[in-house]
Amino acid sequence: MSALQARPLGDFAVAIVFGAERSPALLGRIHATAAALAAANIPAVEDIVPSYLSIAVFYDCLQRSYADVSAELLAVCERGARAEARTTPGREHVVRTRYDGIDLSDVAARTGLSEEEVIARHSGRPYRVDIIGFVPGFAYLSELDASLALPRRDQPRPRIAAGSVAIAGLQTAVYPLVTPGGWHIIGSTDAVMFDPQRGEPSLLRAGDTVRFERAR
Amino acid sequence: MITITRAPPYLTVQDDGRKRSRAAGVPRGGAMDRFALGATNAVVGNALNAAVLEWGLAGGSLRFDADCTFAVGGAIAAITLRDAPVAPFTTTQARAGDEITVHQLESGRFLYIAFHGGIDVPIVLHSRSTYLPGGFGGHEGRVVRHGDVLGIAPPAGRAPDPGFHAPGELTPAYTAAVVHVTRGPQADLFDESAWEAFLASDFRVASASDRTGYRLEGAVIPNSAATLPSEAGCQGAIQVPGEGKPIVLMADAPTVGGYPKIAVVSESDLPLMSQRQPGDSVRFELFTIEQSQRAARRRASDLQTIRSLAESSLRRV
Repeated sequence: MSALQARPLGDFAVAIVFGAERSPALLGRIHATAAALAAANIPAVEDIVPSYLSIAVFYDCLQRSYADVSAELLAVCERGARAEARTTPGREHVVRTRYDGIDLSDVAARTGLSEEEVIARHSGRPYRVDIIGFVPGFAYLSELDASLALPRRDQPRPRIAAGSVAIAGLQTAVYPLVTPGGWHIIGSTDAVMFDPQRGEPSLLRAGDTVRFERAR
Repeated sequence: MITITRAPPYLTVQDDGRKRSRAAGVPRGGAMDRFALGATNAVVGNALNAAVLEWGLAGGSLRFDADCTFAVGGAIAAITLRDAPVAPFTTTQARAGDEITVHQLESGRFLYIAFHGGIDVPIVLHSRSTYLPGGFGGHEGRVVRHGDVLGIAPPAGRAPDPGFHAPGELTPAYTAAVVHVTRGPQADLFDESAWEAFLASDFRVASASDRTGYRLEGAVIPNSAATLPSEAGCQGAIQVPGEGKPIVLMADAPTVGGYPKIAVVSESDLPLMSQRQPGDSVRFELFTIEQSQRAARRRASDLQTIRSLAESSLRRV
């Protein structure tokens, strides 16, 4: 296990770097450590953002200096990483999906599978929420069946409807808001992925597990 | 209440943003120039993070439907109230029926108008700021338009007397050529020639720049790692895509991204960066994190001093 490194991300954040190579094991460790950091209620800490190689911790630099807060964060991360086995796993979600996406037939044609087979492979396994980003509530879910992996569309669409279920590379996602996007749309859901009025606005959190269930 | 009688192309309600929702993918957002947010609020006797108007791109006008103490600041603009010029960061009194007119923005990019009591819009995710990409916050999650009416919250106390102004030595030198930065999380991925190009060049703000980010034109910065696995960014982070043209992430930038970040603009100089218009130049100079955080604390204490001076001017009356 390599030593953790802290680096400033501007005046108001610390990036804690866990490694240089992306892997499911490293990401699992990062999710567990992010949960440990949140549970530690460290003074002046405002936000904790896990990603593939690092955790960014935002804090109030008017209360604490970088040296002060980064030392405490590193200590909690080292302890948190050791206690990984005891941390609670993420929550599990079922997203009911109509496989009626505009690109479903194209995905079938390009993968050489039938539409039924595309649906079976997409809905046939659980996905881990890698990270949240791009737009509010957008969760990058891994890992897609390799037979469904396609590069992003050459021409991103200017407007993708909220609730669109899409795939690209080895990932799948649900568009939470109307946005431009270059992923292949294979279905739709009524699940509200992001609602700013909710206590927890994003339906999904990094580290959660998601299953897509076919709705007819 | 105030009524927008002639809206500029860009007008939103902003405060100091959302500091606890990044894990859900929500950027901090809020005022692009947090000094002007704090200082206009201070001189009208508000909390420093009360909601204000953020005004951009062109002139316009608004009408006061009741007596109101207000202040303007940030971008330099020709502004009049009853045909008299309105000075920046100065407590100003409007009577019911008065109209203020912003004739044009002369330099800078975002003008702020604070009203005693603060703009009364609903709090969404702990903030009144407008997040246009998500369509929430502020006034109905959108830009404020012609004919819109905005409520002003009942003030907690009296406003400072008209004519009080923030001392010049407590306000930033907006036109300073240099913007300070600290080394970014991927600073080591950039070699000596890249750092030389980054620190020795005059960059120009490109026209493709908005609340999400400012593109910079000028020197190309050699970058050996074009993309990385996505990680958190922040306002002021300077990322360098493969083609070597830096982008300064601004208030509404996505919470995560995959381009290496060579540096991050110091909080104390972020107002200077935010107020640069397309075509304006900028040069970067390194601060250590200690210098940078000291400057941020000094800026915060300057704002508190302005607020205390405004309050004590009231007590002398």
